[in-house]
Amino acid sequence: MADDSRGGFAALDPCVHCGFCLPACPTYLATGDEADSPRGRILLMRALERGELRADDPALGQHLDACLGCRGCEGACPSGVGYGRGLESARERITATVGLPAAARFVLGIFARRRWWRPAVTMARWFRETGLARRFRGPTRTGFLFGMLDATTPDRPEPTPRPPRARSAPRGTVALFRGCVMDGLFDHVHEATRRTLIVNGYTVVEVEGQVCCGALHDHAGDRAAARALARRNVAAFLGQADWIVVNSAGCGALLKDLGHLLGSPEAEALGRSVRDVTELLAAAGPVTGGPVELEACYDPPCHLQHAQRVHREPLAVLDAIPGLRLRQLPGADRCCGSAGIYGALHPEMSRAVLDEKVAAIAAASPPPDVVLTGNPGCLMQIGAGLGAADLPIPVAHPVELLDRSYRAAGWYDPASPS
Amino acid sequence: MSGADPDLVRALGAIVGPRWVKIRDAERRTYEADGLPTHASVPMVAVLPGSKAEVIAIVRLLHERRVAWVARGAGTGLSGGALADAETVLIPLTRMNKILGIDPTARRAVIEPGVVNARLSEAAAPFGLGYAPDPSSQAACTIGGNVAENAGGPHCLKYGATTAHVVALEVVLPDGSLATLGCPQGEPWGPDLVGLFVGSEGMFGIALEITVRLEPVPAAVRTLLADFGSVRAATESVGAIIASGIVPAALELLDQACVRAVEASIYAAGYPTDAAAVLLVELDGTRAAVEAETMMVERFLTEAGARTIRSAETAEARARLWQGRKKAFGAMGRIAPDLVVQDAVVPRSALPDVLDTITEVGRRYDLTIANVFHAGDGNLHPNICYDHRDLALRERVHRASKEIMEACVAAGGSITGEHGVGADKMEYMPLIFDPTSLATMCAVRRAFDPAERANPRKVVPTRYCREWRPEPIR
Amino acid sequence: MSRLILDLLGAEFGVAVTRDPDGLPRVAPRTSDETAAALGLAHRHGWRVRVEGRGTWMPADAPADLVVTTTGLDRIGSIAPADLVATVQAGTPLRTLAAALAGHRTWLALDPPGSPDRSLGSVLATATAGPARHRFGPVRDHVLGTTVATADGRLVRAGGTVVKNVAGFDLTKLQIGGFGGFGIITEANVRLRAMPAARRTAVATGALDPLFHAAQAIVAAEVDAIVIELLSPMVTGSADWRLLVEIAGTEAGATSELARARDAAGDVALMPASGGALGVAAGQAFLEGPVSIRAGALPASLPDIADLVVEELGPGRMSLGPGRGGLRWSGTTSVERIRRLRGLLAHREIPVTLERAPWPIREGAGHFGELREGVAPLSARVRAVFDPTGVLVAPLEGRDG
Repeated sequence: MADDSRGGFAALDPCVHCGFCLPACPTYLATGDEADSPRGRILLMRALERGELRADDPALGQHLDACLGCRGCEGACPSGVGYGRGLESARERITATVGLPAAARFVLGIFARRRWWRPAVTMARWFRETGLARRFRGPTRTGFLFGMLDATTPDRPEPTPRPPRARSAPRGTVALFRGCVMDGLFDHVHEATRRTLIVNGYTVVEVEGQVCCGALHDHAGDRAAARALARRNVAAFLGQADWIVVNSAGCGALLKDLGHLLGSPEAEALGRSVRDVTELLAAAGPVTGGPVELEACYDPPCHLQHAQRVHREPLAVLDAIPGLRLRQLPGADRCCGSAGIYGALHPEMSRAVLDEKVAAIAAASPPPDVVLTGNPGCLMQIGAGLGAADLPIPVAHPVELLDRSYRAAGWYDPASPS
Repeated sequence: MSGADPDLVRALGAIVGPRWVKIRDAERRTYEADGLPTHASVPMVAVLPGSKAEVIAIVRLLHERRVAWVARGAGTGLSGGALADAETVLIPLTRMNKILGIDPTARRAVIEPGVVNARLSEAAAPFGLGYAPDPSSQAACTIGGNVAENAGGPHCLKYGATTAHVVALEVVLPDGSLATLGCPQGEPWGPDLVGLFVGSEGMFGIALEITVRLEPVPAAVRTLLADFGSVRAATESVGAIIASGIVPAALELLDQACVRAVEASIYAAGYPTDAAAVLLVELDGTRAAVEAETMMVERFLTEAGARTIRSAETAEARARLWQGRKKAFGAMGRIAPDLVVQDAVVPRSALPDVLDTITEVGRRYDLTIANVFHAGDGNLHPNICYDHRDLALRERVHRASKEIMEACVAAGGSITGEHGVGADKMEYMPLIFDPTSLATMCAVRRAFDPAERANPRKVVPTRYCREWRPEPIR
Repeated sequence: MSRLILDLLGAEFGVAVTRDPDGLPRVAPRTSDETAAALGLAHRHGWRVRVEGRGTWMPADAPADLVVTTTGLDRIGSIAPADLVATVQAGTPLRTLAAALAGHRTWLALDPPGSPDRSLGSVLATATAGPARHRFGPVRDHVLGTTVATADGRLVRAGGTVVKNVAGFDLTKLQIGGFGGFGIITEANVRLRAMPAARRTAVATGALDPLFHAAQAIVAAEVDAIVIELLSPMVTGSADWRLLVEIAGTEAGATSELARARDAAGDVALMPASGGALGVAAGQAFLEGPVSIRAGALPASLPDIADLVVEELGPGRMSLGPGRGGLRWSGTTSVERIRRLRGLLAHREIPVTLERAPWPIREGAGHFGELREGVAPLSARVRAVFDPTGVLVAPLEGRDG
């Protein structure tokens, strides 16, 4: 088929240049420059496809690189343009010609190799646990990195609770996708995921041999690395459970799309079994826990709302928490500027995008006690932004709050009757 | 790289900072079109000022260097109006996006030209106020662009187009001089130059600060959706409603092709896809008036043969009914890769006949024509779907467009109700204006811009601009 | 010279040429083309032309070589009730037009001050709106298109007959409130409204302050009124101010809105009054003073500005619009006092427009007075497009103060 030869570029064809995507694009909002807008980038991608612009054109590269990949534009597009598909193909073509930038190669290399990743995580945890990350966080570039690390701190030292019991009918077996950043810095979210799923009737199994999902590589245009990681994950997860549960929106988006990435029936089938943790919890109700009296703001991650089109489920999960007063602030649906390794490669644009979100949180009345979002990059980015602005507001994953609600109900308590 | 004079590029960079002067091919290319990509033209340079002082400095520089320029908002216009060519500098005003003040007592706002239309209403909402003109692109388009085009929208049926809402303007003329037109109350303060400037399609200067009227958000709003077995029945109900003296806040019609496109998009609004036409009627005002008018309108709709009438009262349900209408244009991308959008206006009483003619033209040229339009004021938007790669098809589309336009003009209408003439409808101007009137328009333009440097070669075909010039003042 | 003019005009127009009471040659063209021809003749011969309507608003006293009156342009070209638009020649008296429209259950929602026999052209050229501007907006909102004879004899058409139209530059706006400086309006396409089923009028009487606050409360309550206007004691020949509220709509709607207006007015008692009579009488009252001005003041400042206007211009009849703003004053005053008022109000961004006055005051103060920096040269250039050699006697800016 002709469309196959055109790859993702064909997905750009429905664009009629109406401009409705402009207000949904965080980088366009930050610069007002058409070249930083989805519509402008589509023109660039089309020119690239037709050979009117060369893959090594620096301006082309600059403006496509500056895309966060949040796919907020897809949600605003009445014509159904497959912006993300187009971008993948364009980045793949550019990477094939000019290669990845050195900084990107370095960062992605760490994620792809266990022997680099382990010491990096160990060092990071040391900075976090000694409180040095909190001490050094701030608005400077380095301060922001420490802020990101500090944002991964669990909200309280965790006592070892009794393993919970199901309080809902049995619903099947799920395999927990551990990921790289989640596994290294957000193991408390994994624990909360495991406990809340068990309460809601799921059986959670561990799968050995799983690796980083490769989403970061894929977004950067390194499809080969992404495919290599994906193949290892397919091998590890195939036939292990009814569902693969993911609590990182970015990983979830890639894993749901495994079929597209690898093109094999196994990958296709496995992709269809991937669920965000909030989808599984919402399907079970979820069970209502004890009261958590907090003012909370929810910020939907781009890869959950745009890439996975999951909107209501996180809200359903938070609705099951008595006492929680939940709001979505103006601009909550906009990208925070984290976007995988984007923050590391384009710190200026990333911060410009984040600033609007932090300003909205700072202006919120009453001030929130916690900001909730379901993706590690967003948790770190927003957390660091709040730290840089000296706002003492913690960030947390929605399942952490549900977990806290179940704890408040006494269900993890050793003395609790079952 | 651009063919721009390096010295000019340096001078522009000195004004706005080099980062905001776009000279690389890839960057300039992203400015090649507005919302009507059938017209494309890559500017010599795009320069993005961030303040009033920068805009003035740019205009003065270009005046000194005798370089033509085009001001641009968000580029959502539908007339090919904000396009610049290889000899012309493009000035996007998107960075000029500050709301300078809202006075809730006087119900006025002062804004920069790059403020996005919907943002102003959001900012005014806490005061119970809103900005009434609501072009379908309101989430993206700028009010500076609205001023240039005298933008309309569904709700201008009751509240009037942009011109009825702009009370004062601070403008920089193409020679770099400044003028303040109008006053906060709305009295013109001299000849009505605000009224003349609004809708001048960027050919009279740049509005630096815009003072607009804000309207109170109505106490009650009701949206009705009626579906009909024929387009004629739907348009006849429109006549009955208007003749009764009811002025709906909006009265919008979508035909079957359009409904199907919308329903296939993410903005699916639950419109019945088997209907020949659906009519959206919005009534607003006091609770009692809306109740009473709803009953009357429901009667008119039923009498005209509406198959079903749905009524949305909650903000969410209303928004969903509207969503389909507002995103209809973009949703056309699902029917075909390219689209000719027309904007003719006909007297309301001529709607049924003109729509029959459009259907007939579509059949004769074997084209898919989807109609979505402001029925209350007779403002038609026939969308002709095609694929630009098919040359024979393109020729048919062109001929069909012309025939439709001629039919609208013959019915006593106008060639454009809200999109503006721009580059797209210039060839139709002689259909509705005689050479003397066209020459006078050119002469008025020269009163603002003697060197014809602002948005050159738009609106009036150049040949009419040479026919008559005023004699010097005695 | 007057002999020559009469001869030349006579050759062109035959019977339509007469002499005005001052002995000036006077022509009453019957068509747009004739109007353009008369002006073309004047342009070629360097005559100065005074434009007159039906002579009930602006005094017919400007010095000129030739008078062009629009009394011959008195035909209603078409009324399209389904489209709510009429094409009307500019000399048509409002009363005649209203009667014709009533037959089609429509009306032109303008209630300007002055005589009911004012010509439509006079209302358009001076942009004198009455109290109904509260709902229906200024005069410019009622005009969809115009045909204009320029001072050098061209016929220029702008706008059209449809309610929504952005084809070409909006030259019609220049004619509305252009005080004849941009040519003679020969014909206009005006926007009509369906005649409401019911109209209710209510009046409250008292001092300005309480009435103004009641009016503000009615505005804030978003009462669906077509008129909310304050009339000064001299307008009604009584000792008190009046608050005039008029509602139009269905029987039930008008009744319920009037009740809401009463509630909003609180302690100020709104009493039913006979429909429209007060408005018409008030409009005519503005003919009693020789000078009329309007000031573009925002609603909140109206009581202040009213005090200031009386202080500067002298006692007069006043009408205040608490919804849309704007103040009209009519009385006896001088060029110097108008200039002084303009100077004071300019600082508050309030323009003062001279709507009607004897020639010496018009000539001295100008309809607009001195225009702001940047606007004056622009306005002069635009005017030169329509009157390149200064044929039309239209003192827009007045003599330098």
